[in-house]
Amino acid sequence: MIELSNIERSYKAGHTEEWVLRRVGLTIRRGDFVTIMGPSGAGKSSLLNVLALLDDGWQGEYQFDEVPLHDYNRKQRADFARQRIGMVFQSYHLLDDLTVAENIDLPLSYKDLPVRVRQGLVADILDRFQMTAKKDLFPSQLSGGQQQLVGIARAVVHAPALLLADEPTGNLHSTQGQEIMQMFCELNQEGTTIVQVTHSESNAQYGNRLIELRDGWIVRDESIAGQIAAGTR
Amino acid sequence: MTLVRDLRYALRSLRNSPGFTLTVIVTLALGIGANTAIFTLVNGILLRSLPVADPAQLYRIGDENQCCVDGGFPQDASQTGDFSIFSFDLYQHLKQSAPEFEELAATQAGQWTWSVRRGSDLAKSLHGDFVSGNYFSTLGVNAYAGRIFSDSDDSPAAAPAVVLSYAAWQGEYAGDPSILDSIIYIQAKPFTVIGIAPPGFFGDRITDTPPDFWIPLHTEPYIEAGDAILNEPESHWLYLLGRVHAGTNVLALESKLTVALRQWLLSRPDMVANGGAALIPRMHVVLSPGGGGIQNLQDETGKGLRMLMALSTLVLLIACANIANLMLARTTTRRAGIALRTALGAGRRRILREILTESIVLSCLGGLVGLIVAYAGCRTILALVFPDARHMPISASPSLPVLGFALLISVITGVLFGAAPAWLSFHAQPAEALKGASRTTRDRSSLPQKALVVFQAALSVVLLAGAILMTKTLTNLESQNFGVVTANRYVAHFDPQGAGYTIDKLPALYREMQDRFSALPGVASVSLATYSPLEGDNWSDCVIQQGHPAPQHGQDCDSTWDRVDTHFLDTIGVPIVRGRGFTEQDTATSPEVALVNEAFAKKFFSNQDPIGKRFGQAMPEYSGSFEIVGVFRDFKMNLQYSHENVHPVFLRPLTQQYMDYKDQGLARGETRSMFVNAMILNFHAAPPNVDALVRNTFAGIDPNLTVSDLRSFSNQLAGNFNQERLVSRLTGLFGLLALVLASVGLYGVMSYFVARRTGEIGIRMALGATRPSVVNMVMRGALWQILVGLVLGIPAALYVGYLMKVLLYNVDSYDPTALAGAPLLLVIFAAAAAFIPARRAASIEPMQALRTE
Repeated sequence: MIELSNIERSYKAGHTEEWVLRRVGLTIRRGDFVTIMGPSGAGKSSLLNVLALLDDGWQGEYQFDEVPLHDYNRKQRADFARQRIGMVFQSYHLLDDLTVAENIDLPLSYKDLPVRVRQGLVADILDRFQMTAKKDLFPSQLSGGQQQLVGIARAVVHAPALLLADEPTGNLHSTQGQEIMQMFCELNQEGTTIVQVTHSESNAQYGNRLIELRDGWIVRDESIAGQIAAGTR
Repeated sequence: MTLVRDLRYALRSLRNSPGFTLTVIVTLALGIGANTAIFTLVNGILLRSLPVADPAQLYRIGDENQCCVDGGFPQDASQTGDFSIFSFDLYQHLKQSAPEFEELAATQAGQWTWSVRRGSDLAKSLHGDFVSGNYFSTLGVNAYAGRIFSDSDDSPAAAPAVVLSYAAWQGEYAGDPSILDSIIYIQAKPFTVIGIAPPGFFGDRITDTPPDFWIPLHTEPYIEAGDAILNEPESHWLYLLGRVHAGTNVLALESKLTVALRQWLLSRPDMVANGGAALIPRMHVVLSPGGGGIQNLQDETGKGLRMLMALSTLVLLIACANIANLMLARTTTRRAGIALRTALGAGRRRILREILTESIVLSCLGGLVGLIVAYAGCRTILALVFPDARHMPISASPSLPVLGFALLISVITGVLFGAAPAWLSFHAQPAEALKGASRTTRDRSSLPQKALVVFQAALSVVLLAGAILMTKTLTNLESQNFGVVTANRYVAHFDPQGAGYTIDKLPALYREMQDRFSALPGVASVSLATYSPLEGDNWSDCVIQQGHPAPQHGQDCDSTWDRVDTHFLDTIGVPIVRGRGFTEQDTATSPEVALVNEAFAKKFFSNQDPIGKRFGQAMPEYSGSFEIVGVFRDFKMNLQYSHENVHPVFLRPLTQQYMDYKDQGLARGETRSMFVNAMILNFHAAPPNVDALVRNTFAGIDPNLTVSDLRSFSNQLAGNFNQERLVSRLTGLFGLLALVLASVGLYGVMSYFVARRTGEIGIRMALGATRPSVVNMVMRGALWQILVGLVLGIPAALYVGYLMKVLLYNVDSYDPTALAGAPLLLVIFAAAAAFIPARRAASIEPMQALRTE
């Protein structure tokens, strides 16, 4: 599904250049649940941003379902990401002025979808995440776990092929974190490819593959045999 | 010490934000500068008292701008009954009737220019006023040098004496002390300089040309000889200004003076005749406060100045709103710092003091720069509205009241725009503020900011609509059909009487002038006239058609008239539409003829052929004096009556003096009219050195024949609209200022919006928002505020248009151009102002924005 080849990313720091990704080569298959780990500054989030097409400053080759995204310009990449990729953030990034339903509707509102279709999709996802009763609440009226559920619902409402999550449970206590990870498992089992960045070993156990980064280099890439299945806690 | 420390903190904080500080100071300087400039004028013209002793005790008998010599009932008085101009005889009568006045002085209503010469110097054109002997003592003004007039100086037997103004002594005679007790020649008559008025004394009224000297009333016959009006009981030419005894009941005095006026009118047979008796019971005087002097300029400029003051206040309000917006943004960004200080134990009062100190320091800096703007602005305004000013008593330099005004509005502005941020900072929860804005995308402080932008937009629409209305008014005034051709024409003013010419020498002078000027290179034609069109002068008289009885008092029989040579109509480009013009055959011995305009023919000979008809001036016995030989196309001789309609005008030839007047006043007017004061030169193409060419030619004819004024005809015409031009330009400037300030305000708010919501925009973009959709979002937010501003501003603009109605010419107060143009301009400027932050928002890198979050 995804082929990264010789991906490199650096930032100018005064007169020197600071490398955050070095010759990263990576293949992600459809249905993978990949966990990226590593110490702070290892390049995890940078890699995630490259995958999310939020970053334009990288070099190398990025193929997504054999589409050469490295040849795309900024606008084409943004259009592609809008259709195929969903993103979950550590600090939820809900818009406080919008209700739960409106937040979930946000990515749909940037597509040319009829209002009725959007309403149907939002209603379905609310139902699925058992949040219909909370659809008119504002983020400030929800707990952290509930807010992250809304964040996930927003990320998957347009049924992306790839779901990216940056420390999705970083701001949650453990019970809420487990619920969120359970949700990821369910989505993965339904066919969504997931890439998560985490510091948590236990969260990594929900995935089927572990990649470790250090100083921008992939130092470990292995399968995890004992993936925690959806519903088992 | 605390204050010093607060000031130090404030200055340090401002130094650390130079962009913010500069923006605020410039914005304030413009707002305060505009206000202070207008206030300088308001203070100098409307609020100022005469520089005399105890001005509160001064009262003027009369309150109207009646000018300059009126026979019988003054023109306005026949309509309103309000008598504001008096003859010398009536002055004496009122003075005797009202012992409540400690002193009652008389001063000339009109302002005349005299030819003044000292020794063998070239004659100068100076302004001088006839005043009663008690003029200076009534005002409580003493001499700077020498002495002022006493009653004995104002008597038929007294030696002619003159008091010079300090400004004229300094300006015209270089402060030469030997001028005291020396002789100067006024209209070629010797006068002894007995004193110099004190510095700063500019007479009894504010004008752009205050008197250079004062001479006693009784010298009027000495100068004017046969043309004198001092002893004409029904020639009204004096304003009366008196000092009442302390405790005088002014209302009772007013009634008493009215009774005295009616008694005098009833005692005059000519005033009672022809229906005058019926008018007399309506005649009255108004006793008006005289501390500010004669209020003619105040009456003329008051409406415009008050409107400008109101409009400049709106500009200041917009500037304040702008600064409040900037301060709000600044306070929000400093909220964490304030929270930290609160957490460390700083009390509310301390924080409030610091914020207010900073805003007051800022506003005072703005006020200081504003004073410079005001000084420059005021100088420009004065030059614009009074281009011919000499020794004008209004100074652009800030006086004590102006400095006080600037300080007051600076402090009020400072407190106003400091209060809101201080209030907001008290509502910051220290813990939350310290935590920062990591989670929230909501920005509560944007509501007051948006409200301020709405307020600015609404005020801007009002100012812009006003500016468009006034600009259209000026355009309509200037582009109205005057009926004359001004291109390549120049008008020179001179005074043959002042140069010592007597009536018998005039024909030779005029002939020589014609010959000399016609021979100049490039001159197409030259014309002489008693006065030229649209110079502000107006001679009018009652016209009586042959055989008609005397018109009743109050009946409209007026026509403007002028005495001109044979080239006059050609030179100003006015064609004859019937009959003929004046020719060389119209001589002193040929039948008396006249030309009339179409309006004259329509008014006095409606549905008749006016050619061959006869009419006369003032009295039935002269009604057959002049035969109409031609009708010329209407043109506007002056704008005194109406901009809309052309007033009836008749012209008489320079060669024919009517010798059969038995009435002294008429005979005097007839003689006076033979002395031309204007020459109009029509060039094929105006040479570059017109001024030198004309002045040298005059000097070549007679060195004493000085040119008191020389300007192009179009310039003379434009001079009629100096005030309208000032109001229009300032309103336009204020509209532009408002537009720029509102746009800057919107830009600031939207920039702040984008900066504060970088995270939100990043999230939206990460979730699929395209860059155009981000631009749209920001633009929509900005234009929505403008739209609300328009909803509030357009009705306000309509109302202000209604209030400005009296200042408009050929423009409706609900003029569609203004009502559509002002919002359109605002929307265009606002869109441009909002587009910059919108573009910035669209260029946000979502990855970086999310990292910021």
